[in-house]
Amino acid sequence: MTEQKRTVSIHVPVLTRVEGEGALDLRIENGEIVELRLRIFEPPRFFEKFLEGHSYTEIPDMVARICGICPVAYQATAAQALEKLFGVELNPWAQAMRRVFYCGEWIQSHSLHIHLLAAPDFFGCNSVIELARIAPDEVRRGLRIQALGNELMELFGARSVHPVGIRVGGFHHAPALSQISAIRDKLRAALPEAEALIRWAASIPVPQDNQAFVSVAMHHASDYAIERGQIVTSDGLNIEADAFDTHFAEHHEPFSTALFSTYQQQPYLVGPLARLNLNHDRLPERVKTLLAETGLTLPSRNLFHSLTARAVEILLALHEALRLLEGYRVPDTPWVPVTPRAGVATGCTEAPRGLLWHRYEMDADGCVVNARIVPPTSQNQGRIEEDLRLSLLNLGLDQPDDALRLHCEQVIRNYDPCISCATHFLRMKVERG
Amino acid sequence: MSTVRVLGIGSPSGDDQAGWLTVDALLSKCVLSGHELVIEKLDRPGASLIPKMENASWVILVDAMQSTGQVGQVQRFDQTDWAGYCQGLSSHGFGVLAALSLAHELGCLPHRLDVYGIGIGQVTPGEAPSESIQVAAKQLAMRIATDLNNKQFA
Repeated sequence: MTEQKRTVSIHVPVLTRVEGEGALDLRIENGEIVELRLRIFEPPRFFEKFLEGHSYTEIPDMVARICGICPVAYQATAAQALEKLFGVELNPWAQAMRRVFYCGEWIQSHSLHIHLLAAPDFFGCNSVIELARIAPDEVRRGLRIQALGNELMELFGARSVHPVGIRVGGFHHAPALSQISAIRDKLRAALPEAEALIRWAASIPVPQDNQAFVSVAMHHASDYAIERGQIVTSDGLNIEADAFDTHFAEHHEPFSTALFSTYQQQPYLVGPLARLNLNHDRLPERVKTLLAETGLTLPSRNLFHSLTARAVEILLALHEALRLLEGYRVPDTPWVPVTPRAGVATGCTEAPRGLLWHRYEMDADGCVVNARIVPPTSQNQGRIEEDLRLSLLNLGLDQPDDALRLHCEQVIRNYDPCISCATHFLRMKVERG
Repeated sequence: MSTVRVLGIGSPSGDDQAGWLTVDALLSKCVLSGHELVIEKLDRPGASLIPKMENASWVILVDAMQSTGQVGQVQRFDQTDWAGYCQGLSSHGFGVLAALSLAHELGCLPHRLDVYGIGIGQVTPGEAPSESIQVAAKQLAMRIATDLNNKQFA
């Protein structure tokens, strides 16, 4: 009998959220996975300390710096928490425009991920540049959709990267009617493109890899939850953001500076597929119809359906932005006055990558005493490890090294973690005995 | 529809403002941004650079450049210098080279593309650019203004 020893080490040298490093260590011996560790270094932990002592007026702009791709999520979540603590009720205009602003971020982030990061895998391409050679129209369409999302963000935030639009109590600025009219025309024109994107995404063959996991997302009585709602799980939990700590726990692993999150001591899924699993009944009718045409059955237990889920959420975001911008009027004031008070408050929204939870303790002057931020990537970290283990077993550990590496990269990219950019650099060292 | 675009790329980090300074210097020479000519500063645009070049017949791109040469040294690049780039792309690392390579594959490059790199030194966030960079940006702006003048855009 031949004894086979096989060690696979995958190194991800670049960043998680702002900058940093991540690595995947995979060791296979005698046909079994003996080590599988996803290591992430997570700068937002430093941001939590940076926030201490700063005024509530600075917080939305500071937390926007945590992520260049989903700054609106951080701004909106921080503002929501502080507004709750200060007893601020947004005016209807600001409430609606927060959602529109957030839709812009979903559109750009999802389109970026689909076309620049995830899709090349499914066509045997190393990059979007290679993909552009075989699917140029689809890539062009993706870039147009991404640019539209950026434009929507710029409208409310002055710029799409680290926007500065949100303030506690509303917005700093209200776009002019002419600007809204112009963007509505563009949003309307993008609807058929987004519908075509869904059809394209759903037509891409994906591995059959059903797994058991708990989906966690926000849920709202009437909306497809983005910027408000309860936290719900696929096994029946339904809680306010304040109760997050009671049901979800974070812990350190010695090999990672990022925290791992668990629900009932188990990994769980956040992000587009979890949202779609829990909220597909809240989609607009047109989106529901299109989703039904794709044949995708929900809830899905196959993470490779995440690409289609993102495409569906792009169309949803376009519909929502159009709906909320209909009959737009420039408000008398884009914000309401705020009087700070001491206390503790939490906020929770759906970042493009999943549930984002903030907790702030504030003093009477409105300065941060301490802060906690639980981002989606750290919540998904345990699930990614679990998925990799199950998915590799499903694929077969006797597959060639390149196939194993590509599969690991694809699995990781399904989650759109902030380390996804680096997974193209995965290096694998194989030892055979 | 604008047909000529001057795009200065940078960030607020020391010498990385080279592209922005070139745009500032160009505008101070009364080369006005207008209907046929757009002069714009971009902050690390990533893939968004591609739509900025759409429908333009001539694009002049200025960016900071890490090199072994002197700080402030200006270099002009041809397409043969970057056509083969296709690795290492990410949402965070999708730079000018990647955007140009993608635009090339998509057939989105303008008829004429002038890419200038200005050799830089320190790129500390929040710091002012060095004197060498400021001088180089002004010199490059003069060169671009002359080019534009020859095409009657100045």
